[in-house]
Amino acid sequence: MVKTFFLHIEDNSPLIKLHPVLKILLLIVINIEAWIIESPLILLIVLTVMILSFKPLKVPLSRIARFLLFAVMIVQAIAFSYLLGSTIPGNIVLLKLPWGTYVSDMTLLYAFTMILRFLTMLVGSTLILAVMRDVDITYGLISMKVPFSIAFTISLAFRMASIFLEDYFKVRDSMALRGTNFSSGSIFEKANKYSRLAVPLMVLGVRRMMELTYILEAKGLGLRKKRTYLYQFPLKASEKLAIVVLTSLMCLSIVAKVSSRLLSFPGWPFV
Amino acid sequence: MDGMDKVLGESMEVNVRQVAITGVTAGLCLPLALFAIILIPIPGLPAASGFWIPAGFYFVMTLWFGIWGALGGHIATTIAMGYFFGYTLHVWLDGGIGDLLAPLVCLLVFKLTKASPELKTKRDKIVWAIAVPLSSLVCGLWVHTIHLLFGTITWPFWYIGVLTYFIGDSLAVFTVGTPLLKSLTDYVKQSPMYVWHQR
Repeated sequence: MVKTFFLHIEDNSPLIKLHPVLKILLLIVINIEAWIIESPLILLIVLTVMILSFKPLKVPLSRIARFLLFAVMIVQAIAFSYLLGSTIPGNIVLLKLPWGTYVSDMTLLYAFTMILRFLTMLVGSTLILAVMRDVDITYGLISMKVPFSIAFTISLAFRMASIFLEDYFKVRDSMALRGTNFSSGSIFEKANKYSRLAVPLMVLGVRRMMELTYILEAKGLGLRKKRTYLYQFPLKASEKLAIVVLTSLMCLSIVAKVSSRLLSFPGWPFV
Repeated sequence: MDGMDKVLGESMEVNVRQVAITGVTAGLCLPLALFAIILIPIPGLPAASGFWIPAGFYFVMTLWFGIWGALGGHIATTIAMGYFFGYTLHVWLDGGIGDLLAPLVCLLVFKLTKASPELKTKRDKIVWAIAVPLSSLVCGLWVHTIHLLFGTITWPFWYIGVLTYFIGDSLAVFTVGTPLLKSLTDYVKQSPMYVWHQR
């Protein structure tokens, strides 16, 4: 098993062995493609393919289940926004609202499309980030000619997020053991109780920040120095080809969106 | 120092300390952003919360450590809305930039009025009471006007969005940030990264 940022993955997963640049590029391509595509049918196909690919790529599908609550939050936000606040013309108007907006058949289809777009990004990003290690972010960004200081900061942010998540649970459990009931009270009372976690968490944060600075300075880490690297990730011919294919796919999608209606929402433009 | 450096009173040159401030602030705010959205979600507004807990942290980090704390908040918001909420690219960047602007406005107000983040005097407290809602309003106006221009939200939700950001961010910053500034500024002063040493 290989330890990634968020979980352990089987070491024979094809995604684990990918070059760091390809992992980062895949993450970018998935999110940009979902942003470009507005056709509900194509989004549905992409989403289905992604969900089906979890098993052959040896990434636990249960990972998505952990985000179910987040998904429900966003789906309700999209649904409310379009059902209560949009004027998208369609073949039939299903409901007219007193503040001047209405719900048509196209409103429902467009809200569904936006939900598919969000799910595509969530599922795709989960698939890639499940196999992302800290070295992948640092080396991947450096290979993409991003300055070391930025690559290191982003890698540090991910590493610290998982550490603070553990801190958060420790502090919360300690407070619960001392009698704080986080599940009782109104939503604002709950928020107030959670906000009391702030002081211990901030003390831990500031202490870690100081320690980290001293360690990095003691190690002589220079952000502008010419660096040597512990690991080497040479690009194979197949990986170079994959980079060309992914980049071309993004460019082709943009061209297809501008020049044809293939990737557009049926019924665009709204007038 | 010149330009922005002069106004904010800190060096913009990147070194190990600044990287540590940004990385740790981002790491600290990232899980909090997730809890905030789960705790009080706002119907109709993507990745919005009625009580934006991380704002309390990155406002304080910015007042203590300058622009690098704000940058940490920006990275946390961008990643939280990007990966964990999977919303569209412009929503990530829009929200992220909004959360970068807000603490910087607050820092600018503190620097221009020469107030202290220790909040010991009545004057400091008044500046804090004005700077926080002002910053939240700037953030809310930025985020929702961009959302509106991209068609992500509609006009009725623009008003709700700006009001939500104004109330949600201000409430969180006052509730979380005030005790942090009052109780921990003395402790943080030991750090060489504290940006008010020049005063």
